Amino acid sequence: MSNSSDARPALYSQTLLAGLWRENPILRLLLGMCPTLAVTAAVKPAFTMGCCVIFVLLCSNIIVSLMRNLLKPHLRILMFTLTIATFVTIADLFLKAFQPEMSETLGPYVPLIIVNCIIICRAEACASKNGLIVSIIDAFGMGVGFTVTLCVLASVRELLATGAIFEIQILALAKEGGWFVKWAAMGMPVGAFLTLGLMLGLVNLVTGKKA
Amino acid sequence: MSKIRHFIQQSWLLIAASFFFGLLIAVTSAGLSPRIEQNKINKRNRLVGALLPEARNFVALDTALEIVSVSGRKEKVEVFRAESEAAECVGWSFNAAGPGFADKIELVVAVDSKFEKIAGFDVLSSNETPGFGDQIKYDYYRNQYKGAPAGELELVSIGEPEDIDSKIVAITGATVSSEAVVEIISNSVTQVKEQMQGKGIIGNVKQQ
Repeated sequence: MSNSSDARPALYSQTLLAGLWRENPILRLLLGMCPTLAVTAAVKPAFTMGCCVIFVLLCSNIIVSLMRNLLKPHLRILMFTLTIATFVTIADLFLKAFQPEMSETLGPYVPLIIVNCIIICRAEACASKNGLIVSIIDAFGMGVGFTVTLCVLASVRELLATGAIFEIQILALAKEGGWFVKWAAMGMPVGAFLTLGLMLGLVNLVTGKKA
Repeated sequence: MSKIRHFIQQSWLLIAASFFFGLLIAVTSAGLSPRIEQNKINKRNRLVGALLPEARNFVALDTALEIVSVSGRKEKVEVFRAESEAAECVGWSFNAAGPGFADKIELVVAVDSKFEKIAGFDVLSSNETPGFGDQIKYDYYRNQYKGAPAGELELVSIGEPEDIDSKIVAITGATVSSEAVVEIISNSVTQVKEQMQGKGIIGNVKQQ
């Protein structure tokens, strides 16, 4: 009994850290590539998308974990999708009501969280097999890991495309007497592929993995 | 009977969850809908307010007009009368849409009270290429329309953007987007003007 209570904090910290690095959804599992490529032209939309994913992940993991003993195996994917779709719709409505401009910027990518593999993957791999606390920690770790990676990717792209990060001008623009010339391609899909590819290469280099 | 029991045993959770989640979405939507609708009205009023600075109030015409859009479909257009503080007509505004380079472009167009000159336009939604087509939102392109005649416009590749006439100078590297905006505005302004003249709405304004 004492062994299991001793093992719990270690399990919780392992679960939390898995999402941040070891099983980072973007850099290690290569999940959720659609929003990763589409909304990372600037940090603000990337951060908002990350927050929406954290909210949906947390809510879906809580619900799935609570009803895990009632799930029929052949209906479980249907139940996961239903749960995820509900919270994505709620997140979309809140964004339209309180952040209308950001909602327009993100366009269809908020409703598309429904088909984001990270969320259904965590429901299947973690929440449907674990208790409430582990599911919440897993959702938080995965969500934060996803958000941080999106923000890093978006920072690089926004800086090279506009000379700013979080809309704060950092590099002096050539047309205003500075030296930096905007690299428009970084704001387009090609910039997303390039930056993501370089980031993945860097991560593989750090972890000693051959691509 | 056993089939029904089997069905309920298998799917009761799905049915209950559908009902619960549906209720949750309905409650959230009912609670947030007024705010979402107000956001849309505020955005439109803010954009038109910038184009018609004297406008304080926007009143929708009783009857919606029907025009043939650039893509050939019949579309209803709701025209708003912009009123000053003294309730005098200072202009008109309406939404217009058409195909752009990447996606549909939705504009809000404002014209003066006599429907003779365009007061300007702004972009409600578009998905044009960043750095190229999305320059239709920039002031240097939009300013060409301020004061242009409310009728047929022409897109030219070389010219002076500062000259205010029916010739609109295209954005370098974004001819399709530039042309799309010219077509949407020409098409909608011409038809709305004709119909309003036909209904005597503009004539009434002249008498004021």
